[in-house]
Amino acid sequence: MSQPIRAFIENQFLIEFGEDLPDDTDLFRAGVMDSFGYVQLCRYLEKTYQFKFTEEEMTSNILVSLQRIEEFVARKTAQAAAR
Amino acid sequence: MCGIAGFLHSSQASGDHPETIQNMLRSIAHRGPDGTGYFVDGICAFGTTRLSIIDLEAGTQPLSDASGRYWICYNGEVYNYLELRAELEAKGRIFQTRSDTEVVLQAWIQWGDACLPKLNGGYAFAIYDRMAGELILARDRFGKRPLFYTQGPHGFAFASEMKAFFGLPGFSFEQDVDQIRSILVQWTPLPDQSGFHGIRSLPMGAWLNVTRGSMTERTYGPLRLRTASGPASEGEALALIRDRLRQSVALRLRSDVEVGVYLSGGVDSAIVAQLTCERALGRVRTFSVEFEDKNLDESLQQREMAAFLGTRHVGVRVSYEDIARHFPDAIFHAEMPAFRSAFVPMYLLAQATRREGIKVVLSGEGADEAFLGYDLYKETLLRDGWNTFDEAWRRERLAHLYPHLDHYKPEDIAAITGLYHQFSQERAPGLFSHELRLQNGRFSARLVQGQGDPLGAIQRLIQGEPGYAELTAVEKAQWLEYKTLLPGYLLSTQGERMTLAHGVENRCPFLDPAVLDAACSLNLRFDDGFAEKRLLRQAFRDQLPASIVNKRKFPYRAPDAAAFATRPPEYLELLLSEGELRRVPYLDQKFAQALTKKVMGLGAAEISTKENQTFIFLLSLVLLHRFFTKRHGADRSAAASPIVRAVDLRPAA
Repeated sequence: MSQPIRAFIENQFLIEFGEDLPDDTDLFRAGVMDSFGYVQLCRYLEKTYQFKFTEEEMTSNILVSLQRIEEFVARKTAQAAAR
Repeated sequence: MCGIAGFLHSSQASGDHPETIQNMLRSIAHRGPDGTGYFVDGICAFGTTRLSIIDLEAGTQPLSDASGRYWICYNGEVYNYLELRAELEAKGRIFQTRSDTEVVLQAWIQWGDACLPKLNGGYAFAIYDRMAGELILARDRFGKRPLFYTQGPHGFAFASEMKAFFGLPGFSFEQDVDQIRSILVQWTPLPDQSGFHGIRSLPMGAWLNVTRGSMTERTYGPLRLRTASGPASEGEALALIRDRLRQSVALRLRSDVEVGVYLSGGVDSAIVAQLTCERALGRVRTFSVEFEDKNLDESLQQREMAAFLGTRHVGVRVSYEDIARHFPDAIFHAEMPAFRSAFVPMYLLAQATRREGIKVVLSGEGADEAFLGYDLYKETLLRDGWNTFDEAWRRERLAHLYPHLDHYKPEDIAAITGLYHQFSQERAPGLFSHELRLQNGRFSARLVQGQGDPLGAIQRLIQGEPGYAELTAVEKAQWLEYKTLLPGYLLSTQGERMTLAHGVENRCPFLDPAVLDAACSLNLRFDDGFAEKRLLRQAFRDQLPASIVNKRKFPYRAPDAAAFATRPPEYLELLLSEGELRRVPYLDQKFAQALTKKVMGLGAAEISTKENQTFIFLLSLVLLHRFFTKRHGADRSAAASPIVRAVDLRPAA
């Protein structure tokens, strides 16, 4: 699951995760995340993984780093599968 | 309006000074097609290429006082020159001409630097005191007119536009990578930045004293956003706005040639046009940019306003191809990396204006800065109070913030809420209001190799400003706008560099100290700031069509990357060819190529703001490198204007 998210972010922000940009980098602090890219990322995650962000989720620092996004999406999809 | 240039204590033999100063002035001949004049005395050489507007005959420059001790080269207009002249005459000063140039010279002789705060206008000038061996340079308080200087093996030199330095023997341009990184992140240069090594822009509201061996820069006109008192009621506030703007327009209609108006389709230029028509004797001429792209076009509103006022209107229709075709010429005139292509249509508008025989235009620039018109101010108010507002209120405000942006549409409001939550705390000290903008800028800054600190220069600027830390978040936003986007792009790249490329002078009634003072005395006192420019609109509600008064601010935009992707111009090879791109040594080749590939391959709707602006930055950097550093294709100036005055006081002459 993680590869498509990684690829989406790399393509959207023209970056490459690796030694200089580890997966847990705060993408806001690193100056990578902009408003358009952020919204594109939300749209992409909702569409690809078939869920809707709640208001609470949107204001709880989920979409900060690749690592946190992957963890969140894994949790979301696991919850959906368990239902 | 004019261009000025000169040098002091040159290492060059004085026999060559007349030729050098003429070469410098020739490079900026577009600024003043009506005549060139210069002065040389073996120590100083300076001159003017003049666009004559006041006292067409006797205003020829350089001009001296009766004793021949003081000489002046002057660019721009001081609108309150008649009042200053009366004051100076009362003190016994004798005048030989009717020009404002002479008023500035006499004011300097009478009051020294204390004269500068008295001048209301857009100007840059050089005064040479032969007896003291002293050269004074000064620039208006808002940075309407440019002035650059350089000190090096060639001595000290200055000019209205940097391209005049092409005329200095041995001078070479080298792009300053640290400054470029800073420009990319801020979107525009800071007041002292030029983008080139060894060239400094004299900041707005500053003056410089140069003698042999010393150079001192001082500020005379700090930006004041707080007033001691203000109107007691909304009714008084509206009357104050009308009164100050009426006076400001009246001052800016002082001219010996016809004055036209640029109509954007928005309320600011409509007010300026209305006040112009109120005073004009004949039928006023108005000019507008129209776009073939319907998403950007405002011709309906422009024509409606022209018809309402009964002006003789000219609309200049601009296509994608026009933007791609004229981009190189326009960026050559701008001399500065640009983040939008919207200056190119203004280049074409000025060309058409001049063709119609108009040398002076009024425009609405400065209204959004003074009366809090930009969405940025609302965004700042919202983020600043984020944690005190409830969910419904936040959503309601967010929905009205940037309705022209696709990603602020209702379906994405949840995502935007998450984003704003991230930006409700200050990350970059003192720059809270601009942090979302800086994120786009950080993407652009990746065009330059290496790390560097792109925010270092702007942090130093605000730390050095007395009282900045005490300003509110919105006042800080305003201060930053007055020091970056307004002078660094709107008044320069999109403003006077485009009009002066065709010998047209632009005047901005909203950039009058009395208008700013009025705005500051009433902003956020009678409303919460979320209905932009409410009081300004209210003040002119009865004089303008309701459709214009009620129209929401529509940012002036032009097609960016799409203009080049649709039918790529030949020079795009500079970006597409690896070999060409490698010629610009500081660029991050991999990032530049990836960006170009992405932008050229996507439809306009899929290209983000940050990608659009980074692409325009990249294109302008590469072209500026070619024109200035490599001097390829740099011979784009107009023919030299005829020599109308040559003053040669060299000892041997």
